[in-house]
Amino acid sequence: MAHAFIAGSDRPEKTVIRAGFMPLTDCASLVMASVLGLDDKYGIKIELARQHSWSGMRDRLLQGEIDAAHVLYGLLYGVENGIGTAPTRMAVLMNLSRNGQAITLSRALARLGVTDLGTLAAAMRKSGRRFTFAHTFPTGNHAMFLYYWLAAGGIDPMRDAQVATVPPSQMAVNLAAGHMDGFCAGEPWSARAQMDGSGFTVATSQDIWPDHPGKALGATAAFVDANPHACRSLVAAVLEAGRWLDASQENRDAAAEVLSSPAYVNADRRAIAARLHGEYDNGLGRRWIDPDPVRFHDEGEANFPYLSDAMWFMTQHRRWGLLRDDVDYAAVASRVNRVGLYREAAVLAGVPASSSLMRRSVLMDGKVWDGSDPDSYISSFPIRRVVLAGA
Amino acid sequence: MKPPSKVQRTLRIVVVNTASSDAADEATLAAQARRNTALRIGLLESGYDIVAMLPADIFLPERIAQIQPDMIIIDSESDARDVLEHIVIATRDEPRPIVLFTDDQTPSSMDAAIEAGVSAYIVDGLQAERVKPVLDVAMKRFHREQKLLDELSDTRRQLADRKLIERAKGVLMARNRLTEDEAYQRLRTMAMNKKLKLAEVAQRILDVEDLLG
Repeated sequence: MAHAFIAGSDRPEKTVIRAGFMPLTDCASLVMASVLGLDDKYGIKIELARQHSWSGMRDRLLQGEIDAAHVLYGLLYGVENGIGTAPTRMAVLMNLSRNGQAITLSRALARLGVTDLGTLAAAMRKSGRRFTFAHTFPTGNHAMFLYYWLAAGGIDPMRDAQVATVPPSQMAVNLAAGHMDGFCAGEPWSARAQMDGSGFTVATSQDIWPDHPGKALGATAAFVDANPHACRSLVAAVLEAGRWLDASQENRDAAAEVLSSPAYVNADRRAIAARLHGEYDNGLGRRWIDPDPVRFHDEGEANFPYLSDAMWFMTQHRRWGLLRDDVDYAAVASRVNRVGLYREAAVLAGVPASSSLMRRSVLMDGKVWDGSDPDSYISSFPIRRVVLAGA
Repeated sequence: MKPPSKVQRTLRIVVVNTASSDAADEATLAAQARRNTALRIGLLESGYDIVAMLPADIFLPERIAQIQPDMIIIDSESDARDVLEHIVIATRDEPRPIVLFTDDQTPSSMDAAIEAGVSAYIVDGLQAERVKPVLDVAMKRFHREQKLLDELSDTRRQLADRKLIERAKGVLMARNRLTEDEAYQRLRTMAMNKKLKLAEVAQRILDVEDLLG
């Protein structure tokens, strides 16, 4: 069946796809698609390009130096809507992963008796100083999860605290030095902060939103429009890699070994492997096997580019004033998320695809998000930066 | 509010040193140091002064807020790019050019990018001869933006002045039963006698009106 797509008029327009990735555990499916040679099966060659910053990744995408990227879902929508940059039409080809990020607080806070969100809020009220929390990119997933989590505990992230963007590799150092109180980032950086004793894991991202969308496979709309067949091959190859990752512990172990090398994540294999398996240690004596660890496939459920997932990031951009005006959330999401192309790739890789464009999620505060009424959803948050017309 | 001084200011340039991340080996650090030196020399030879060289740490946003640079130069490979992104978004009403350096970009497309108002440009390496043309274009844009900002604040002030004058005229007309023309003449005479601007006289009248109710 695959041959029908990679030969003749459906042949990939471009056979070498330069794909950017950040040194994070959840780059696994993109990296393994290349390492396992799954790209070859679909008539393309994925050329991996390790990046140093999300801003650099974005610029290279926009300049065409890289064709596709393992990228923060929220960042793509920030660019689409022109937050901090000229608005540029972007595309989400698929969701790469779910879960597996975390919020870490400093050891110093643990010594003051902080163990969870409630005790953190109490400590902040009691203390005279302003707490600082870091994330990895202003419009990114970690910022949105951090703000959501703080606000769910009655803490206004902008008014009651100070927020900063800090490169993941510098998080633990700043935490240990007392320059900040906590951070939200991807793995292996939270595991490393816990392992080196600078912090403890206070919440996983799946605690905030079970099965939340994570990194997306992104590109510019112009690239996708010019190379639809190549993009379809890319998605099919990465879908196969995700299926392989979720298939067994042995496969994830093998992936941890590959990822730990300097060419990819460049980190201790153990820091990658444990949480890849869902084995958590919060650093305060609690150890558990997480029922919702990072997922790369989940029968394709983790990969489907649900419009409601994309819309959630936009509602949070609006909530925090990053997005200055109301947008037609559903229209923007259906323009950016290439559901049709994804479905073709899913057929190619033999992966089931959802028939629904929206899904229902319940977040940590009990709020339901199903994509049906973004305006009411935004105005339902007592802590927000934006006053909505008619709300 | 007075608009910022129209006296030609010099471009305030800050160079951000790439973070000494734990992964960086000595050779990488040495290469960075060489590139920084080359950049500094290039800027000085081109007649640009560097206000500060800042380390890319958690205090960077604070220092930049204090220094208020017109231009920030950072290595495109630096992971501190995202820290600057935070500043770009936090201060997005006052666009600030940021120059980045990497390997392949022709001057013409760079020119076009800058003309289009992109706040990040990419040039070849950190060679001194490549630094000057970028800065020249950036400088042009900087002056144009300054001019636009000045014009904008002029326009805003004129609008605000006109509103003040209209309101003060209204007060004079009501209190002293004057026609609009007479009220305006009264304002003008007062302004000339007291050597004040029309808007300032109008403001005083409105202040008094506030006080007396």
